[in-house]
Amino acid sequence: MSGAFKSDEMRRAFDNRGDLVAYLRAQFPAAAARGGGFSAFRGGRRAALARLSGCDPGAYAASRNSLNGSVTRLSPYLRHGVIGLREVVDSLQKRHGGLVRARKLVQELAWRDYWRRVWARIGDGIWEDRETYKTGFHASHYTGELPRDVESSATGLACMDAFARELKETGYLHNHARMWLAAYLVHWRRVRWQAGARWFLSHLADGDAASNNLSWQWVASSFSSKPYFFNRENLETYTQGAYCRACPRRGWCEFEGTYPDLRRKLFPLLEPGA
Amino acid sequence: MSVVIWVHDECLNPEARVFREYPGAPAVFVWDDGAIENEQWTLKRIGFVYECLLELPVSILRGDVAEQFAGFAAGCGASRIVTSGFVNPRLARVAAALDGLEVLEEPPLVDLPADIDLRRFSRYWAKAEPLLFGRKA
Repeated sequence: MSGAFKSDEMRRAFDNRGDLVAYLRAQFPAAAARGGGFSAFRGGRRAALARLSGCDPGAYAASRNSLNGSVTRLSPYLRHGVIGLREVVDSLQKRHGGLVRARKLVQELAWRDYWRRVWARIGDGIWEDRETYKTGFHASHYTGELPRDVESSATGLACMDAFARELKETGYLHNHARMWLAAYLVHWRRVRWQAGARWFLSHLADGDAASNNLSWQWVASSFSSKPYFFNRENLETYTQGAYCRACPRRGWCEFEGTYPDLRRKLFPLLEPGA
Repeated sequence: MSVVIWVHDECLNPEARVFREYPGAPAVFVWDDGAIENEQWTLKRIGFVYECLLELPVSILRGDVAEQFAGFAAGCGASRIVTSGFVNPRLARVAAALDGLEVLEEPPLVDLPADIDLRRFSRYWAKAEPLLFGRKA
């Protein structure tokens, strides 16, 4: 663009997106070999502003927990500072004459601000347990390896296999799917959150250690007062049954049961007298 | 005194303060080959970031960030470096190797004291919420 140092500059002109993809595959072969396609998100400020203008905070508040809900999908742009948190809130305020309808969305944006403030304070400590697990287990009871069947979408659980596939192919997962997949790995498979967090960060277009790692710790209970887990009914409700209907494990998967039942199975050491 | 802008992956906004306050200044983004391997980036994120870069007035290099940047800045005859705020310790380590770096922070979501209690979101929210909902855009 400017300056005298031109020797190793990378290309800036491309005929189309396919041309850019081919160039990046050639430039970053190891990254390309790690799997997945190209980003499901178009990068750039113009794309960010287009998404922002399409945000409906009322619909977000009503439906954000459903996989087909009205979520903003602004996270890759926020993560890379293409657009700022303050700018998003100011835009909502101007467009809607206030923040009354946007209360839930603003609170979720504030979570992102909160995670970043924590990261700024603890730096590389973001990879360490903030607190002990509240599951009855010690950190040493969890494996540091990501199970191959989860990584390769071969668990036989339609939901988890689909989430892992989507993560790798698109670089994005709905927040609820992230929470389910994280809870499955940590609490059902007894995997240390760090292994899952590294896997997510590798693939997510919006991955940053602040939101990602601290959310994993929130699920694991090393940055919350209790572990997050779910049951099949919860997952079925917020996915409109999309996975359960076709699941080969329908009716006998490990997510079946009431919350008290699952709590006893997953965290037996928390039971009275244990 | 000539200025050069270091663009990093936490602020890929053509309307960022660095570009507004130093229009026309040479700017560079350096792909950190070590970080891409350590953090196991895939083409999905690389592609997203690359498309963001194509909307910025930057030269795009790769390799060791501090080394590449130093070469670029020397080629421009720059005596001052400006960049946008960052949190990632990886970027802080690069910044520590750049002499005369000035950081221009973007506006925070909410103005809070640096020593705010961050032990739980609820403590942060108790301070942030009234400020967020009490101000005008």
